[in-house]
Amino acid sequence: MKCVRCLTDNAAKVAEAPDGSKAWEVYTCNRCNFVWRSTEEPEVIDPEKRDPWFQLAGVEIESIPVFSPVPPLKK
Amino acid sequence: MEGNSLRGFLEKLEQAGQLVHYTDEVMPEPDIRRIGRAAVDIAAGNTGPAVLLENIKGYKGKRVAINVLGTWANNAVMLGMDKDTPLKDQFFEFARRWAGGSDGELKWIKDAPCQEVKITKDINLYEILPLFRVNKYDAGFYFSKASVVTRDPEDPDNVDKQNVGMYRIQVQGPDTLGIQVLPFHDGGIHLRKAEEMGKALPVAVCLGVHPVISLMASAPLQYDQSEYKYAAAFMGAPQILTKTLTANLDIPAYTEIVLEGEFVPRERFVEGPFGEFPGSYSGSRRQFRIKLNTVTTRKNPIFENLYVGRPWTEHDTLIGLNTSATLYFQLRETMPEVKAVNAIYQHGLTIIVATDNRFGAYAKTVGMRLASTPHGTSYAKNIILVDGDVDPFNLVQVMWALSTRVRPQKDVIVIPNTPGMPLDPCSEPPGIGGKLIIDATTPAAPEISREVRMVDSIPEAEPYQKILVDLQKAAAR
Repeated sequence: MKCVRCLTDNAAKVAEAPDGSKAWEVYTCNRCNFVWRSTEEPEVIDPEKRDPWFQLAGVEIESIPVFSPVPPLKK
Repeated sequence: MEGNSLRGFLEKLEQAGQLVHYTDEVMPEPDIRRIGRAAVDIAAGNTGPAVLLENIKGYKGKRVAINVLGTWANNAVMLGMDKDTPLKDQFFEFARRWAGGSDGELKWIKDAPCQEVKITKDINLYEILPLFRVNKYDAGFYFSKASVVTRDPEDPDNVDKQNVGMYRIQVQGPDTLGIQVLPFHDGGIHLRKAEEMGKALPVAVCLGVHPVISLMASAPLQYDQSEYKYAAAFMGAPQILTKTLTANLDIPAYTEIVLEGEFVPRERFVEGPFGEFPGSYSGSRRQFRIKLNTVTTRKNPIFENLYVGRPWTEHDTLIGLNTSATLYFQLRETMPEVKAVNAIYQHGLTIIVATDNRFGAYAKTVGMRLASTPHGTSYAKNIILVDGDVDPFNLVQVMWALSTRVRPQKDVIVIPNTPGMPLDPCSEPPGIGGKLIIDATTPAAPEISREVRMVDSIPEAEPYQKILVDLQKAAAR
């Protein structure tokens, strides 16, 4: 299914309300790691209503900065 | 030994009238965020209670604690003081305890309460823990108050080099965490060493500990200083620890929830944004990942988290006095004229120092000294110096000092292009900044100032406050 942030087809359901109430489901995107619950506000979970500033549509993962670079292996 | 635990502290808060039970049904989002925001907003971070949420939709039977150390009243309870204690008095009690250093005693027990429940397969954190999105545009559900334990892979038996650090953590999958550890953090040193060796670094993430552990985890202690020993000295009681089930890591024995696992070596994964302590969102970054193999909990565990965002929040209270005390002791090593340090604003991006002038313009040197401490190098952007008899925690007094002491042409110094704090939204490029020093102290010889006489403070007036307050209470009945 489509991720609401990066808009690629990499999202899936990972949990339901543990008390059996069916109150909500949780989804994660295994590409951009966005996580959301089905009952959140539209500005969070509806791609049309999300602030474009926070979207990662069209962004290459490799272009996202790294703060802690991988160090060279020591032999 | 509940005194050593989150539960023990919640009992103390309840006795002091600083804990409330929220039993009406709430949604994980946006209700928990709003309740956390409200708890710290009461009287601007001064008197609001900790909140135990006991009825969360979809998480029946699970509990969230929020704002545990969010306000100065709760901080006073932690220090064993009356909840109305003024902040300056809390600072001096904090500093007195802090001076105990790393002399505290550690004890280890087996069959610890934190391991009453063990989950070793089919781990699904979204179902085990009542998670919630802290701020609206966070990338997911975050742990904002986790104590993360690692060991130095080159010296794995050294307890003093074992690190307990507080880093933001995103739950990125049922058994997967994304975590921001920066190269200058002690945990970052452990990670660099492990990655250089090509090894997966074992880790324990502790959720729901006594606030003194959180305090030490978020404090800028030296690399080989034990957070647990500091906590024991601070509390005046041994820290009770136990070993994790899967690695040689020490964890507080009364922790509510412990997540055990390993860092994924030599790979980075998208994490963020997250609403951070300057009141701005961080960007998305590629950061470290943890894969979990075991979860242990107390029976009926309490999931503790904090609200962080636009200040004032629990994050500010948590790190306010440990940042202040660290700088206070560092300055006083060579500058005993320093009377108190208030570094509670945005982790010390703005700092007020009360100091006597040993000689003319001395306070400016105090400001430069502050700017070159390890913490002050990147933080300490705005430095305000006030006289030693001004309470730097009392902003009425600080504003009075600014109004009546500062000569703009002599007392305001701007040092451009210095290190800055990347999370400061006006650090441009991130990591570069500047210093502003405002000297609001009274000039001392050989500096010449105008002949004036200031009105004396009246310390003898203080006892009358209690009399008047009691009369006021009686009048209201």
